[in-house]
Amino acid sequence: MSTTSSSEPKPGEAGYVNPRGIPQAPFIEAVEEYVRSRDQVESILQSFQEMLSKYKYMEMSTLRRAAGLREKIPDIQKTLDTVLFLDSKRDAEEPTMLTTFELNDTLYAKANVTASDSVYLWLGANVMLEYPIAEATDLLTAKLKAAQESLKLCEEDLEFLRENITTVEVNTARVYNWDVQKRREEKEAGERIK
Amino acid sequence: MSLQMLPEGQETPDVQVSWEDQTRINTFSKLNTRLTNLEEEYQKTKDEMEYLEDVSTEIELIDEDELVQYKVGDTFYWIKQSEVVERLEKDTENASASLSELDEKVGTIKDEMNDLKASLYAKFGNAINLER
Repeated sequence: MSTTSSSEPKPGEAGYVNPRGIPQAPFIEAVEEYVRSRDQVESILQSFQEMLSKYKYMEMSTLRRAAGLREKIPDIQKTLDTVLFLDSKRDAEEPTMLTTFELNDTLYAKANVTASDSVYLWLGANVMLEYPIAEATDLLTAKLKAAQESLKLCEEDLEFLRENITTVEVNTARVYNWDVQKRREEKEAGERIK
Repeated sequence: MSLQMLPEGQETPDVQVSWEDQTRINTFSKLNTRLTNLEEEYQKTKDEMEYLEDVSTEIELIDEDELVQYKVGDTFYWIKQSEVVERLEKDTENASASLSELDEKVGTIKDEMNDLKASLYAKFGNAINLER
């Protein structure tokens, strides 16, 4: 766990690390100072390639996590909607309703459901617990908020990764272009001597 | 969209890339991804809106006291047409609110991207490609 102090690099400064520990890619101020000699070009491009694949790997795993959350959120929302619906029916003149519910995939059955003061929530790991409606609502709302919050962080990370991938791509292009230009200059100089 | 500088260096771009330029390029790239996601969400919400409008028209054909199957979560509840109409109105309201919110966001991002595009093309000309 790291805490931010004033001495740590801020976003955009060299050495910045985002709150989830993703490092910022180095930016090349001037290519000729960064590369110095043409012998280094290959190893520099190689190191950019490595950086790029690390960022892409992080991007992939973050995308997967975000996709998982995007699936989870509607599930929680649906459960919350149902609890709220039952809650709204508790004081209705007719708290018992006929329902058509999914018994199995593509198989529906009818049942009479009476809105009562409690619901049962499946907590996972073969555990189901009875909750008063208000508590169930609180629990589900908190879970929903937490999931939305982590999705937001995932998206933040994805944007940060995107930015750094772009930086590395631009770095690569700049070093490559510099090399092409140098090579051409050398060739022209060689021809002049002949 | 490609943000690569011209790889073959036919017209060797002799322009220096400053940190400011790099930030602009990064922001553009970031906004571009954001825009793609938002447009997807916008389309989804718009479809939802159309379904709701269709069903709101259809439901007028049913008698007020008749029971209709209304879906909450994964279950259909048999409730009175009049109540379903009320609930549909609320659903439509919510959908329309998020639709205009998304529309506004898309607009802001597009404006921002156009500004960035203008300043980046002004500096780098055809050494940079910012099209989708």
